[in-house]
Amino acid sequence: MTDKAITSPAVAAAAHTGLAAWLRAPVPTSPSHARMQQLWLQWRRLRANGSALFGLCVIVILLIAATFAPLLATHDIFEQNLATRLLAPSMEHWLGTDELGRDVYSRLLFGARITLYIALLTTVIVAPIGLIVGTTAGYLGGWVDTVLMRIVDVFLAFPNLILALAFVAALGPGIENAIIAISLASWPPIARLARAETLTIRKSDYIAAVRLQGASSLRIIFGHIMPMCIPSVVVRVTLNMAAIILTAAGLGFLGLGAQPPSPEWGTMLSSGREFVMTSWWIAAIPGTAILITSLAFNLLGDGLRDVLDPRHG
Amino acid sequence: MMTKHFSKHKKAIAAAAAAALLSSIALPAQAATPASALVMAWNIDAISTFDPAQVGEVVTNELLQNTCDSLVDFDPKDESKVVPLLAKSWDVSEDRKQITFHLNEGLKFPGGAPATAKELAWSMQRVVTLGYGNAATLTEYGFSKDNVKDRIVAKDDNTLVLTLDNPYPTNLILQAVGANRVSALLDQATLTKNEINGDLGNKYLATNTACVGPYKLVQWNAGESIVLQANDDYYGKAPKLKRVLIRHVAEPGTQRLLLQQGDVDIARDLSPDDLADLDGKPGLKVERVLKPQLFFWTFNALDPVFKDEKVRLAMRYLIDYDGLGKSVMKYLGVPRASFAQLGATGALDAEQGQPFKLDIEKAKALLTEAGYPNGFEANVLIGTLPHSAPIAQSIQQNASKVGVKLNLERMANAQLFARIRGREFQTGMLAWQTSVPDAHGNASRLVYNPDNRPEAKLTQMPSWRSAFQNEAFNTQVKAALLEGDPEKRNQIYYQLQKDVMEKGPMAIMFQMYNILGMSDKVQNWTWNGFRVYYDLASK
Amino acid sequence: MADLTHSIPRSNAGNGTKPNPVLVVLSILGKTLLPVFVTLFGLAALTFFIGRMLPIDPVASILGDNATQEAYEKMSAALGMDKPLWYQFGVYVKGILSLDFGDALTTGKPVIDDIARVFPATIELATLSIIIGTGFGIPAGVLSAMYRNSWLDNAIRFTGLIGYSAPNFWLGLMGLVLFYATLGWIGGPGRIDFIYEFDIEPITGFYLIDTALVGNWEVFRNVFGHIILPASILGFGALAYISRMTRSFMIEQLSQEYIVTARVKGLSWARTVWIHAFRNVAVQVMTVVALSYAFLLEGAVLTETVFAWPGFGRYLTNALLVGDMNAVVGCSLLVGVIFVTLNLICDLLYRVFDPRTR
Repeated sequence: MTDKAITSPAVAAAAHTGLAAWLRAPVPTSPSHARMQQLWLQWRRLRANGSALFGLCVIVILLIAATFAPLLATHDIFEQNLATRLLAPSMEHWLGTDELGRDVYSRLLFGARITLYIALLTTVIVAPIGLIVGTTAGYLGGWVDTVLMRIVDVFLAFPNLILALAFVAALGPGIENAIIAISLASWPPIARLARAETLTIRKSDYIAAVRLQGASSLRIIFGHIMPMCIPSVVVRVTLNMAAIILTAAGLGFLGLGAQPPSPEWGTMLSSGREFVMTSWWIAAIPGTAILITSLAFNLLGDGLRDVLDPRHG
Repeated sequence: MMTKHFSKHKKAIAAAAAAALLSSIALPAQAATPASALVMAWNIDAISTFDPAQVGEVVTNELLQNTCDSLVDFDPKDESKVVPLLAKSWDVSEDRKQITFHLNEGLKFPGGAPATAKELAWSMQRVVTLGYGNAATLTEYGFSKDNVKDRIVAKDDNTLVLTLDNPYPTNLILQAVGANRVSALLDQATLTKNEINGDLGNKYLATNTACVGPYKLVQWNAGESIVLQANDDYYGKAPKLKRVLIRHVAEPGTQRLLLQQGDVDIARDLSPDDLADLDGKPGLKVERVLKPQLFFWTFNALDPVFKDEKVRLAMRYLIDYDGLGKSVMKYLGVPRASFAQLGATGALDAEQGQPFKLDIEKAKALLTEAGYPNGFEANVLIGTLPHSAPIAQSIQQNASKVGVKLNLERMANAQLFARIRGREFQTGMLAWQTSVPDAHGNASRLVYNPDNRPEAKLTQMPSWRSAFQNEAFNTQVKAALLEGDPEKRNQIYYQLQKDVMEKGPMAIMFQMYNILGMSDKVQNWTWNGFRVYYDLASK
Repeated sequence: MADLTHSIPRSNAGNGTKPNPVLVVLSILGKTLLPVFVTLFGLAALTFFIGRMLPIDPVASILGDNATQEAYEKMSAALGMDKPLWYQFGVYVKGILSLDFGDALTTGKPVIDDIARVFPATIELATLSIIIGTGFGIPAGVLSAMYRNSWLDNAIRFTGLIGYSAPNFWLGLMGLVLFYATLGWIGGPGRIDFIYEFDIEPITGFYLIDTALVGNWEVFRNVFGHIILPASILGFGALAYISRMTRSFMIEQLSQEYIVTARVKGLSWARTVWIHAFRNVAVQVMTVVALSYAFLLEGAVLTETVFAWPGFGRYLTNALLVGDMNAVVGCSLLVGVIFVTLNLICDLLYRVFDPRTR
């Protein structure tokens, strides 16, 4: 009876008014339903946060621009014309031309691909490593913790850009190597964060309960601790993307990032700085693009923090 | 409730913002350089020592030329002539194998200790004994560790005798040895006093100068600044400007700002577009002179693709000499395909020395002949020279039209040199500078290769680095060197240049300018491709 | 800069008892010093292997492009590069233990001397930056928390995020063009105009202090004009981070019950916030400031390059690019020591002074 009383209104509502009502149902019918409802709630909270929404919009626009770059571009990004170099923005070249007469607008679009590629791939590499190292250290404690945390400390104490620089110099310049180098420099903070989270979780009752049921450490770490760390790591990683983009741009600026003729923004900025006084837009445009993108990731990260990780304000 | 409290704080914020703004406005810009000093912005990262036996790069070389007089000097107006400096005159023996230099009387080191031919002989022997890169400048002409003490001899305090193993052209010896930093007159007493483990003062000279010259080094902070001060004990005319101050500025854009604001008199590393923009601006001028530096694209003849001279020739037709020369390189250099730089004895003129032009069809035809109708893929190593990237990209784009896919790989210069020296490359772009205004200077390095075996390790020769050896060329280089008749000698070089342009291991692209932006307050700035004369400048 | 959040110790370390602060310090010292040495050793080892991994040939860097093979081998032997790797590592560790980092290959001077010369430039810049960052960052963060979600909060957060997001080398270049070249308000790149370079008697190596000590205000103004823009730009980055963390600490405090109680008792809102709430987060904020400072002391390579600032970051980068490993090792260890020490001090401050851990 009670059972029926709980389920039937929800089912009925879903049947009558569809998805919206199902998501708003006062009582979830299943774990997955609960999860969907929570996501829905979080989405609504995020939607109410203007700046986060702005960040999200910018990122979506960027993704679209990157995906459809071949359609949106007005010129071949490699086609040079030494006769029409360093042109100011015009109807023909919306954002002007660079030092070899290439269309800056088109290059910027394709550059978005590279920048997003670097940011996303680095994140995909870094997040799991940081999570595994951090949760393992935090849960197992003892000498495992000590060893792992000392390694983390060593990497943290090494200047970030210098570490990336050294690895790029060793591996040779290029996007893939830049990604590896940036990853090497940016996993430790995530490991630290995951460890701190784990320390607060591992003493909790439900973990004790799982342990009493005879679950292995591996299972506890992967099945019960890691999922709890994910929200704060997601926040952290989003905020990190801005730092990654800036580091990649810094490597490009020092000539060790993506190689010409690649339209990576940092590389464009680097070659544009020669013309700061004569053709300011060549440096200003990729610079602004880097600024806006990294700002967008920061805004979104801030918003996500409010939604996913309310403890940290 | 929030708004009520808010208004109070608004005032505080406004006040703070205003204070921040004011604090920055209240600073008037000081824009003047001292009247008795020459102030330069220059990228001086390359400096690592002031030892004339070791210095191998252009920045320190220029500083040494103004702090350490050599035996003779390049004529400021015509670099292919030599004029007296330490030596006021010289005699040449009948067989051209002995040169006797008569030094100026009363030479003194800064501080007043007498400087004589004995110290000079010691200084020159020291170069060979130490065996750093510059030893080659002397060993090339028959001096060696075993014979240098007999072949460079001080007859008395004012006479120095050089004995050569072959009858080389006297003018060449004067240029290559007499006007070179290897004949700088070093203060033997000071260096011996500061000797560490038999280094003949090498360590001391890493941070000091100890020689006879119009200026002396008084301060060097690596990556920061250099101060040269007029040497009061100098035998020659005192410099017009008492001090030369050099500030390390790595960013060309920053250099431009400093120059425009009048905080420096001279900016040495301006970008071509800044130079174009500044040229003709009131209060500023742009000065340039061709220097003996060639920028080239070198190919490794050990590579299965580039061992074919047709492929190497095809690559030359992918270079847009004209377009690049008028745009990217406009203020940086002039198109040049011959190994002998303009201004050198024996060099082809501007037109004959650069017969190539961008010709995709021709390149295609040559590649088809060589067996690559559909092109190939290759790496191009480039360093951090600012013009490397645009030139390489321009060629890359042209190459893509004949199916040749070039991958650019940019790296720190030190890394680039290591790769090229070790023959670990397919192709690479770099600059090469000779110290002799004679075709032999580059013929002996870019063409001549006595031993192509890997274990010979003639790493100082770009010809060896690209594993290129041509017996006929070798013979011609040797013949030209010892040819007594100047006209015949020139003819050998003309023919050699034409042949090497077709078959050589490197596509020479540009001869570079020494170029700078300068405040018009600076007068009498004097230089040629081999030398800058700080002591003649005035304000 | 975004990478510093992790190091803020969590506030749940208390275990109910009230140990003597001196004992706490001692036990923490014992527990922390050993890991500190292990970390530094790890850092040294990492640096060594990075150095050996680099394809940059220090010998070629020193001798230049046209050296003969004989000279090359001679220099290589002089540097000990011809010995086996384990032997080189042994020599290297021995050198570090005796605090002898050898001579920098590029300058021919002992690395220690070089660092003593370049580090004051960076300390001076970093200190002014952190003063700017803290001076504006803390009030901004507190205001942001007080008026959470107001337009002021949004404006502060947005401005802060720009400081966080802008490539600062680019900001530097644009700032120079605007304030130096166009408006002429400030001095240009470098630490001082060349005309004054010889008016400075190096006492401390900090130009602002040196000029103030002898009362040479004309030169002081010139030095200040040079440092203000790079310091503002670096300070902007620090401000972003400090205000952001302050805001989140304060929001947590302001939701505590004692705040409500204080308000109910009739204490003014400003007084409540600044005196009571802020005092409780002061230690946390201080750790954030200390970490930002550590970060600034590492030297901002790109900013230093743009401003021709003869500082630590540029020295280190340059050393790295020419394979001058002696210099790289000395510098990395210094950075490591600074980082670890400041971390340690934060830890101690936190455990000793934070009321909740007592």
